[in-house]
Amino acid sequence: MKQNQFVKLHKQRWTEFETMCTESPAPANFPLEYRRICSDLALAKTRHYSPALVANLNDLVKLGQSVLYSGESIGFTRIWSIFKSEFPKALYTCRNFIWAALTAFWGLSLIAFFWIQNSPDAIYHFVSPDQLNDIADMYNPAGAVQTDKRTMDADVLMFGVYIYNNIGIAFQMFGAGALFCIGALIPLLFNSFYFGAISAYIVELGYNEPFFSFVITHGSFELTAIIIAGAAGCKLGFDLLSPGKYSRAYIMKKTGLEVLPLIVGAFVMLVVAAFIEAFWSPLNIPSVYKYSVGSILWILISYKLYTGTRYGT
Amino acid sequence: MITQGLNNSFANTLPEGVSINLTPAGISIRTKAYLFDFLLRSVVMLAFGFIFGFMGKAGTGLFLVTYFLVTWGYYILFESLSGQTPGKKRYKLKVVQDNGLPCKINHIVLRNLIRPADSFPFAYLIGLIVMALNYQFKRLGDWAAGTMVVYVEDKVSFSTQQNSNISPPKIQLSTEEQLSLIMYAERCHTLSSARQEELANILTDIITTQDNTASEAVKEIAQYYSGQAT
Repeated sequence: MKQNQFVKLHKQRWTEFETMCTESPAPANFPLEYRRICSDLALAKTRHYSPALVANLNDLVKLGQSVLYSGESIGFTRIWSIFKSEFPKALYTCRNFIWAALTAFWGLSLIAFFWIQNSPDAIYHFVSPDQLNDIADMYNPAGAVQTDKRTMDADVLMFGVYIYNNIGIAFQMFGAGALFCIGALIPLLFNSFYFGAISAYIVELGYNEPFFSFVITHGSFELTAIIIAGAAGCKLGFDLLSPGKYSRAYIMKKTGLEVLPLIVGAFVMLVVAAFIEAFWSPLNIPSVYKYSVGSILWILISYKLYTGTRYGT
Repeated sequence: MITQGLNNSFANTLPEGVSINLTPAGISIRTKAYLFDFLLRSVVMLAFGFIFGFMGKAGTGLFLVTYFLVTWGYYILFESLSGQTPGKKRYKLKVVQDNGLPCKINHIVLRNLIRPADSFPFAYLIGLIVMALNYQFKRLGDWAAGTMVVYVEDKVSFSTQQNSNISPPKIQLSTEEQLSLIMYAERCHTLSSARQEELANILTDIITTQDNTASEAVKEIAQYYSGQAT
């Protein structure tokens, strides 16, 4: 068939297809029409029609493709559905890394805790005296921070700090973990050591009550989420380091999509943690409420983590 | 599956049995797009900073939340909408999957969350090195998500000199060969006439004349093919 004949025969269908691509939702016969355009392109190529015609049909195929295969856009329902169903599944597939990260975090913070408890002066090796004074002021039951009434705008300020800082750290750990785990391990271990050492220091000072009643509730979400983000980053980096039977290019793609629900889950948990930390934890109510709510959340999180890593539910 | 042509574009085979061409975007144009996006984000953050500046402590809190959303969400939002951030749109780039299909949301989130690794230790150094080491200019985030940044191509139109005559070739040529004839005709004005004749004389198989009329003959054939645009 001559090219002019071919064009004359199909020209109308091509223009119709172009308008079809702009319609939303796409008409029911769209996939059929798309396949016909594809076959037109194949014909034009094998018959060596002119480059311009081939290029035009190529554009049409790309246009149709972008309509036919368009992805869903981001939304809260999507994030929630990932959190509900894909997050536990990912916990199961990455369970070794989750357990390793949990052990590393709590193990190192316990070591730090007992170390500082046995030799309190050792903390000055790691934290500057100014910083320690600030921390001591914050949790001093007679100090300004504990006795002053927290106002609403201070709560909002702290909410911003927690969102920006904590979720930023989690994302950093995940992303930088791709660099052979280093970017995830260092912040994870640093935070664990810091947390253990500061806890011991506070206990040493005798400020247990304000400190633990403050951290217990949001700690359940926050610390676990940070550990999960670290584990996700570590898995990415470790698989890149030792890809097994796959090529490195392929393993990155495979692992990347595997661990993505973990970081989405950690994100949701950290948003919840930021709300609790900013608006619940500083409330001026008897500590017993905070301890009971905190304990319930810890039990819940531990249970979810167990069923996730054990059964994927 | 993927073959690369001379002009750096990849022919990508689709499940529908045809292949389409994609041209990956290189380091310099992506840097420009990044800088444009960076500028835009800075302006937005300045504006927010100005507004929230009047709101005291709560304003600072809201500013930090906005800062977080803009730094991490800017790329995810725009790329999930159309595959193009404003910077990419300006420089006619687009994020697509390896096989040329539009990205799904999880690809977009992944490729943007790996940014810390690419930007390590500063100024996207690792990302630049990784990009320079592969033909599709993928940074680490692109490798993890299975995406690449390609040029959005303009509609192709071929314009050879309109005043020349048209004559069909002696034998049927393949599309690639037709294309090279048209490209020859298009860039003829950049060559000296002696060089034009020299090049055209290689094609004695398909043109009837030789020597100093050969170039004209090739242009006529090119006109014949480019005239058949549709």
